[in-house]
Amino acid sequence: MRPILEFTAVTRAYGPRLALDDVNLALEPGELTFLVGPSGAGKTTLLKLINREIRPTSGEIWVDGIAAHALKASRVSQLRRHVGVVFQDFKLLPRLTAKENVALALQVGDLSISDDEASERAMDALEAVGLGDRGGSFPHQLSGGQQQRVAVARAVVGQPRLLIADEPTGNLDLETSWQMMDLFADIATFGTAVLIATHNVEIVTRLQRRVMTLVQGRLVRDQPAGRTGRMAWLASS
Amino acid sequence: MAGVVVKGHFPRRRIVQIVFANVTRYLFRGAARNWLRNIGSTAPALSSMTLLLLLSGLVGMVGFALHNLEQAQAAQASLLHVYMRDGVPSTDVDVLWDRLAKDPRVASVTYVTKAEALARASRMPGLPQLAAASDGNPFPASLDVRVRSIDYAAAIDSLVRTDIAVDPQDPTSYDRGAYQRIQAVLFGLAVAGSAFLLLLGFVAVTVTMNSIRAAIHSRRDEVTIMQLVGAPRWMVRGPFVVEGAITGALSGALAGLITFGLAIAAMAAGPASFTQFAPGVTVTVAAVAAALVFATGLGLGSGSSLISVRRHLES
Repeated sequence: MRPILEFTAVTRAYGPRLALDDVNLALEPGELTFLVGPSGAGKTTLLKLINREIRPTSGEIWVDGIAAHALKASRVSQLRRHVGVVFQDFKLLPRLTAKENVALALQVGDLSISDDEASERAMDALEAVGLGDRGGSFPHQLSGGQQQRVAVARAVVGQPRLLIADEPTGNLDLETSWQMMDLFADIATFGTAVLIATHNVEIVTRLQRRVMTLVQGRLVRDQPAGRTGRMAWLASS
Repeated sequence: MAGVVVKGHFPRRRIVQIVFANVTRYLFRGAARNWLRNIGSTAPALSSMTLLLLLSGLVGMVGFALHNLEQAQAAQASLLHVYMRDGVPSTDVDVLWDRLAKDPRVASVTYVTKAEALARASRMPGLPQLAAASDGNPFPASLDVRVRSIDYAAAIDSLVRTDIAVDPQDPTSYDRGAYQRIQAVLFGLAVAGSAFLLLLGFVAVTVTMNSIRAAIHSRRDEVTIMQLVGAPRWMVRGPFVVEGAITGALSGALAGLITFGLAIAAMAAGPASFTQFAPGVTVTVAAVAAALVFATGLGLGSGSSLISVRRHLES
C-alpha cells in the first residue's frame, strides 16, 4: 500500500537555524500517529510543510500522491483539499454558524455542491462529532471543546485521506481532550491517516499508538503502536 | 468516518446553475456585503476618487473642446486669402488661378469678388463699421487658396506675393507665427492636462490600493482560514477585487452624473457663448464623457485593488 504521507530527507531552515533536519517518515492509511517533542523541536514546521504553508529547503514531501515540495502557489488549494487540518485555536469563521463553517470547507473545494447537499453533509459531520443539535450556533456561543469539534467536523467533511492536528487539546480540559482523542481514533478507523502534534504526555502514553519524536529538528525515535516507550524528549524539554 | 457519500447524477444544466450560484455568492454577494460592512473605511476612498474622476471628466471635456479649437484653427490656417490688386485685368487673375489650381500642394482655389468680400466682412464682428466708414468698398477681391497641409502655406505665400495680379501692399492673409503660437499654447495645455490627469490617476490608484490594503488587514484571519480550508486563489482574492470595482464603479457613476449635469447646465445657461468657448461639446459628447468617467472609475477601482491584492495577500 502506498503511504498517504511520505517525507524523504526533508530539511527546512530558517536562516542559519535548522527547524527540520533530514527527516524521513511515512504514514499509512488508517494510522493514528502522535508527533511529540519539546517546544521548538519542529512539530509545527513539519505540519506546515504537509499543508504547504511553507516549502522545504530540501527533500521531497508527497501527500496523497501530490508532490507538496514542488507545488506551485496556484495549486496549493488543491493539496489542501486532500488534507484536513485541526488547529489549537480552532480557526472558525466567527460570522458563520457551526454548520456554515463546515459547509464552507465543502463548497470552496467543489463549487458544484449545492447548498442543500453541503448543508446535509455538514450536519452529518456535526452529528458524527456529537454536535448535531448545535449546527445553528455561532462559534462564540460554543465552548472550547465544542468549537474544536466543529473544527474537526470541518476538517473531515470533505473525507480527506490525511488529517493533521496541531495541539488539538492545547485549549481543552482533560475530559474534553479524551473525547477529542476518541474522535480522532474513530476517524482513523475509517481509513484516514491522522497525525497529531501534541505535548500531552498522558494521552500519548495511554493510547499506545505510533509515536514519532522530534528533538531539535531531527526525528530521533519512531515508536510503533502498542509499545510504551519512554518519552525521550521529556529529558531535554 | 462518515462512510462513502453517494452523489446523484445531476443534469449538466443543474450543475452549471449550482456553480453559478456558488460563484455569485462567494465572489459578488460576499464582496458587496463586505463593502457595505467596511463603508466607514471605504468612504474616504470613495469620496476622493469621485472628486478625482469628476476633475478628470471636466479636464477631459476641456481637452476635447481645445482639440476642436485647434482643428478649427488648423482649418483656418490652411486657407490663404491672396488679395488682388485693384483694377487687375481678369486675364492676370486667370493666369494666377490656373497656376495655383495646377499646384499639387493646393487643394482648391476659389475666386471671391469685391462684393462677396464685402458681404463676408459684414458678417464678421467689427468689420461692418469699417465698411460703413469708407466711401466705397474697402475689401479687395481675392483668390481663396486651400492648401493640402498647413506646412505648404508659407511656400504658396512666397509663390504668389510677387505675382503681377497680387496687391503688393497687402499680398496675402498669411501670418507666419500665428498658427504656431496657437499650437504652442494648445500643446502646453495638452501637456499640463495630461500631467494633471496622470497625477489624478496616480492619487486615485493609491487611495483605492490603501483602502483595499486596509480591508485585507482587517480580514486577515478570515483570509487565512479560507486559504487553510483549501479555497482557491480566485475565491480568496476575487472579493477584494470586486470590492475595489464597486468603489470605482460608484465613484465613476457619481462623477459621471455630475460631469454630465454640469455640462448640460452650462449649455442651458448660455448656449451661444458655450458653443464659442467649448466648440463641439454637445449633449452626446457630455454623455460619452460621463460614460468614460464611469468606465475609468470601474477600471481604476478593479485595477488598483488587483495590484493591492497581489502585493498584500500571500498565496
